[in-house]
Amino acid sequence: MKQTSVLDLANLPDADVVALAQHGREPAYRELIRRYERPVFSLVYRMVRDRELAEDLTQDTFIKVLSHIEKYRSEFKFSSWLFKIANNVAIDHLRRRQLDTVSMDGSPHATNSDLTEATSFELPNHDETPLQELEARELGSEIERAISQLRPEYRSCILLRHVEDKSYEEIAATLDLPLGTVKTYIHRARHELRKLLEHLKEDGIVPAEDPE
Amino acid sequence: MNHRHLLPNEIDLLLDGESGFGVQPLREHVRGCPDCQGRLDAAKRVASRLSELPLIAPRYGLADRVMAQVPVFVPWHVSARDTITPYIPTGRVARLAAAGVTAVAGTLITGGSLWLAARGDLVAMVTGLAGESMQSAAADALGTLVVAVFGPQVVTVMQQLGPMGLAAAAGGFAAAALTTVAGLRHVAITTRARS
Repeated sequence: MKQTSVLDLANLPDADVVALAQHGREPAYRELIRRYERPVFSLVYRMVRDRELAEDLTQDTFIKVLSHIEKYRSEFKFSSWLFKIANNVAIDHLRRRQLDTVSMDGSPHATNSDLTEATSFELPNHDETPLQELEARELGSEIERAISQLRPEYRSCILLRHVEDKSYEEIAATLDLPLGTVKTYIHRARHELRKLLEHLKEDGIVPAEDPE
Repeated sequence: MNHRHLLPNEIDLLLDGESGFGVQPLREHVRGCPDCQGRLDAAKRVASRLSELPLIAPRYGLADRVMAQVPVFVPWHVSARDTITPYIPTGRVARLAAAGVTAVAGTLITGGSLWLAARGDLVAMVTGLAGESMQSAAADALGTLVVAVFGPQVVTVMQQLGPMGLAAAAGGFAAAALTTVAGLRHVAITTRARS
């Protein structure tokens, strides 16, 4: 295979860059990271809403994908494979975190208000760290907060559809879901977003009624 | 005109820009129904807000952090080609000449190998003669060295003692050499300690 400079790599389609990576060309690995670090990080960050964690999960995603680059089959889109791993990494983390979560509002098994109070706790109110300030700036808009209210499955579907501009078929292939399920998830996600943004209807963002 | 308001999934069809047989009546309905037009416009605005979300950059140096943990696997054929590539001329004429020389050299080596293989006896005889000649030359050189270092009497004594005597002499020489080295080292250490 012909030696390819970094400038040439930027002009090659994904499939060719992946082929070069499969031939052990390190610049091709770096080119794939350069192309997808922002889209993958954005997806993962919007899924987990924690910058530091998103950095780690994005790194894990690229390590997983690039360590097994020889297993990639060219009949699939590279980006679909990459987003599939990224989404799985994020969803796995969210599931684990859900298992580890302790309710601040008291035990769900409490039978009266005294017991509820006894099992609840409050976190001390620390000032915002620079990282939290950055997170608030990046994910603090109404639309970002509304996205964070969605179920993780809806969230990844709606982000892939509207932020990554993927077709329904691509999303189905990426997330290993039936096409009908993807359509349902996106439909429900849009419906929930409209409901969550209802208070902005005076700005003309959402309608007053939705006959569902 | 259809007076039924559009269902949410029908709004989605229009939002996704679908163009099928069933979509045209929906479009016509929307054109004449301010309620549905309003809902479609609002859905479009939410979709537009989503698509305007910026891509967020991770901390600088992600590629370095990733590549520090990814083993770059180079297949053997690529590695072999990389080794040969620097020696291949870039010019067309030079490349043709190199190919010609390689072909001639390859043919000669192959022909020579086949010719030698067909004459196994000859090869064995030549190899044996060469081996004997080298062995004799090495023995002569060793004998000359021993005579020069220890004198002809020592050689006579060693010849009388045979292999056991030779081994004992070698052992004695090694022991003497080691003792000398140890002694010199001891003297050096003592001198350094005094100074």
